[in-house]
Amino acid sequence: MKTVGEFLAHAIALEEESAVRFDELADALEVHHNNDVTELFRKMAHYSRLHLAEAKEMTLGVDVPHIKPWDFEWPDEEAPETPEMEGTHYMMTPYHALALALESERRGQSFYQGLADNHENDKLREMAKEFAEEEGEHVKLLSEMITRYPPPKEGWDEDMDPPNVAD
Amino acid sequence: MDMLTAEKLTAQDYRSDLKPVWCPGCGDYAVIAAIAKALAELQLPREDVAFVSGIGCSSRIPAYSAVYGFHGVHGRALPIATGLKMARPDMTVLVAGGDGDGFSIGGNHFMHACRRNADLTYIVMDNSVYGMTKGQASPTTEPDWEGSKLTPDGTHITPFQPLEIALSAGASFISRAFSGKPAELTRQICEGVNHKGFSLIHVLSPCVTFRPEQRAYKDKVHEEWRPTADRTEAFQKLMADDGFATGILYQGTKPPFRPEMGVPATIAEIEAQFAV
Repeated sequence: MKTVGEFLAHAIALEEESAVRFDELADALEVHHNNDVTELFRKMAHYSRLHLAEAKEMTLGVDVPHIKPWDFEWPDEEAPETPEMEGTHYMMTPYHALALALESERRGQSFYQGLADNHENDKLREMAKEFAEEEGEHVKLLSEMITRYPPPKEGWDEDMDPPNVAD
Repeated sequence: MDMLTAEKLTAQDYRSDLKPVWCPGCGDYAVIAAIAKALAELQLPREDVAFVSGIGCSSRIPAYSAVYGFHGVHGRALPIATGLKMARPDMTVLVAGGDGDGFSIGGNHFMHACRRNADLTYIVMDNSVYGMTKGQASPTTEPDWEGSKLTPDGTHITPFQPLEIALSAGASFISRAFSGKPAELTRQICEGVNHKGFSLIHVLSPCVTFRPEQRAYKDKVHEEWRPTADRTEAFQKLMADDGFATGILYQGTKPPFRPEMGVPATIAEIEAQFAV
């Protein structure tokens, strides 16, 4: 990643993939009538789309290149704010959902902070700092929210009548 | 790199409004996302793409896609897709399924589809279990897996080796990916679609319900293979394979099967052939 255009292409993909994944998680939990978690995931998808719109506004007058899905320079396998699909369970609680979201926001913040601290392009560093600060606000907000939901007791995933039982 | 334009189809444009009913955490979510991304990357017009499947969890994919779809008979996705490709060689034909559908019920079709080398892209989501029927051993299940009441002591049967079979039978593009590495999977799907011939994309796609231990796949997979057109080299790599190597194993140059279309005949001429 060398230019501001490439940086914005990453920022757009990061928010877009986050929104899509949160919606997928909401869809998956909706099938199991886990309404509290579904609602939380929908909210997260909504916020990601708001941030996506903000990132897109910043592209005015900037040449944003198309980057192939496998050429993005993410620190890990997926865009940093994409919550892991495998971190879900049909009986997960709002605590788990918020923990998943918090983790993804932390990864996003760390991604931007890394660029803000180390990139050689002044303008890009400045933008990354701004994005990192915004992600920091999200981390703070989610950290406060999660305190309203105590961690579930052991055995939260025990189901006397599970949807799938090995025959 | 070209510039972003408003007219481009996005990955979401290739998804239908129908929501998947897969278990939360299923690897197949990542596979359909990668397929949609690949189609968007290739900017294939939706009306020029068809998705054919058999039966099983992963075979539900055509319903979740916004291209032409055919949810076929168990194990028969490949002959249906081959027929479609022969009739409409201009279309991009994708085939989806699981290890049971593709390697057991459709095992014979699989071998002959490889041999025929029609220009199809076959995406197999392998979780080494029959998930839709609630957890029985499949052709790729380890012989000592004791998770099913049908085989409480394991099957003691050598697992099917899809990549070895594909290479032996004549498939001209063979790769393996992991659903937990969606960027690489997307790249392989693009390469497979662009390849002229039969492409097998073997995807390790965990079943978190009946094979929860497969969550550990992410620690086991390793990028290993670079494409070669040398079958001997590809076989040697497979002999050293632990089942978790990923990448494009083989990309040959054998021309795809495409029979010459006959000279069109009139109804009267066809009738004359049946005259007693």
